[in-house]
Amino acid sequence: MTEKPVVLVANRGEIAMRIIAAARRIGASPVLAASTADADSPVARAADRVIVIGAAPAGQSYLRPEQVAQAAVHAGASVVHPGYGFLSEQPKLCELLEEEGIAFAGPRPETLRAVGDKGSAREVAIAAGVPVAAGVEITDVTNVVPLGEQIGYPLLIKAIHGGGGRGIRLVTNPEELASLAPQAAAEAEAAFGNGALYVERYYGKARHVEVQVFGDGEGRAWIFGDRDCSVQRRHQKLIEECPAPNLTDARRKVLHDSSRALVEALKYRGAGTVEFLVDTETEDVVFLEVNARIQVEHPVTEEAFGVDLVAAQLRLALGMDPELPEVGPVPPAAVIELRINAEDPEADFMPNSGTISKLSWPRGPGIRIDTQLEEGYKFPPFYDSLMAKLIVRAHNRDAAVAAIRQAALNTNIEGLKTTLSMHDYVLSHPDFIAGAVPTSWFGPVWEARKENNA
Amino acid sequence: MNEQPSWQDLLDLVAQLNESNFESASVSYGNISVQLSNSDTFIGGAAPAAAPAAAAPAPVVSTSSTTPAPAATVAAAPAAPAGETIDAPMIGVFYRRPAPGAEVFAKPGDRVEADTTIGIIEIMKLMNPIAAGKAGVLGEFLATDAQAVEFGTPLVVIDTNA
Repeated sequence: MTEKPVVLVANRGEIAMRIIAAARRIGASPVLAASTADADSPVARAADRVIVIGAAPAGQSYLRPEQVAQAAVHAGASVVHPGYGFLSEQPKLCELLEEEGIAFAGPRPETLRAVGDKGSAREVAIAAGVPVAAGVEITDVTNVVPLGEQIGYPLLIKAIHGGGGRGIRLVTNPEELASLAPQAAAEAEAAFGNGALYVERYYGKARHVEVQVFGDGEGRAWIFGDRDCSVQRRHQKLIEECPAPNLTDARRKVLHDSSRALVEALKYRGAGTVEFLVDTETEDVVFLEVNARIQVEHPVTEEAFGVDLVAAQLRLALGMDPELPEVGPVPPAAVIELRINAEDPEADFMPNSGTISKLSWPRGPGIRIDTQLEEGYKFPPFYDSLMAKLIVRAHNRDAAVAAIRQAALNTNIEGLKTTLSMHDYVLSHPDFIAGAVPTSWFGPVWEARKENNA
Repeated sequence: MNEQPSWQDLLDLVAQLNESNFESASVSYGNISVQLSNSDTFIGGAAPAAAPAAAAPAPVVSTSSTTPAPAATVAAAPAAPAGETIDAPMIGVFYRRPAPGAEVFAKPGDRVEADTTIGIIEIMKLMNPIAAGKAGVLGEFLATDAQAVEFGTPLVVIDTNA
């Protein structure tokens, strides 16, 4: 009998609870690295031990790689799981852990760097044969109109060295392009130290479809289908489902094959997601980015295919077989996830915090709830507004939509405002029921509803 | 825009960030890069890290070999004694001496000022001098030399009325 390996959980909330469950599943001992605000949380009680790494604001705790690495050393951890957000895609944490001989449940630091920057991610994608949006570098900001003719309008001006949505401008006509290009170059120069720009085709009515990948770090790739995450508000996903509905076999094959090529080319290690825009007006499918981490919406894939991706991440990081099956492109079930946020949908989705005074969840076949909520829990104001994820599996999409709508109606969270009522509206909307809405769908539809009610 | 920023530029930048909600910011300015964190409670009033750290040779023992056996639960911190304590402003390994065999920075009965160094916390091989943070007379040390401490672990009792 060897001693249980220790898994340091470097995150909080529902994903920390999820990582603890995976650690238990593989027979490891979960230790939580927590801020003072979370030192006595339900997640903390679920862990075998808690190490307080810093004060409540994330910038003084969850976002400090040296504090997390130190906690891993204190815990005697074999592996650190970073979850999503926070330090999950920071090469620095990965490198500090490597120095200590502690595994990181995620890709190698060089992979994080290669896919972490828009320009280099696009290059990596092109090299692997992944379709990207038609784009061309601007060589002369005073003579850009011919480039606009080449790409077509509307288009995006992007800073080659930009990132995180910064340095992107939407242009609808040649006059705008001529006046905005020099301005964008000056801004990029000031913000990124490099004024290089390119123009790229803009898709105003595209769906967000992503492919779940897993790599063994040596070139072997697993593909676990696709997810549609097109119900979004201001680029924040609200509802996700697996498989993506109304996707032709040909398009699905392009998405899966190019994602596989990318994983193989990068010798990608662990779980990741390749995001695409799937246009609803043309046949175009274009690469968006690689998310080099487990994602919030991973449960829809897990439920659809019957796998445990987080346990697989931990097993791989510990040098074990990830114990994942080879699966077909389409799962045998349809799964939908609702993100239940501590936000008021009637007040411009303003976040709120407070004590959960009453809580009850629906029960039944195919229902999964990922959360750390419990009655009496004080939902803190310091972090993300995600409270819980309600996930429902059924034999097909229509059944899943109907089942999750009832599940949401049978969910009761009292004490603060949640986005549950918004979900009921979407789940009963004919556009959503039909499937395949674009990412631009939710915003105007939700605003129009409020005006109709007024 | 490759000219060097002036001191005034940097001060303006700090002033601007100080008034905003950033927790940390990293700005490249020509070939100068500036990293700022808004971490008032993190350093806990410690003296600037660089200079004293240079004067404090790294303890010979490596971090991993000094890691004590994990304590059981959240309540790992020793029962807080009556009165005020100076608490660890960061996770790390606490040292009472600048080097093995050297005199301790401070001992019970010493009168300290807010800026008096009472020990060092090593975090990932970086030595951070820990200032008392308040004036008073030190009592018993609750953290021993080379002890793994967490954020908020009481290090030493202090009587601020003495």
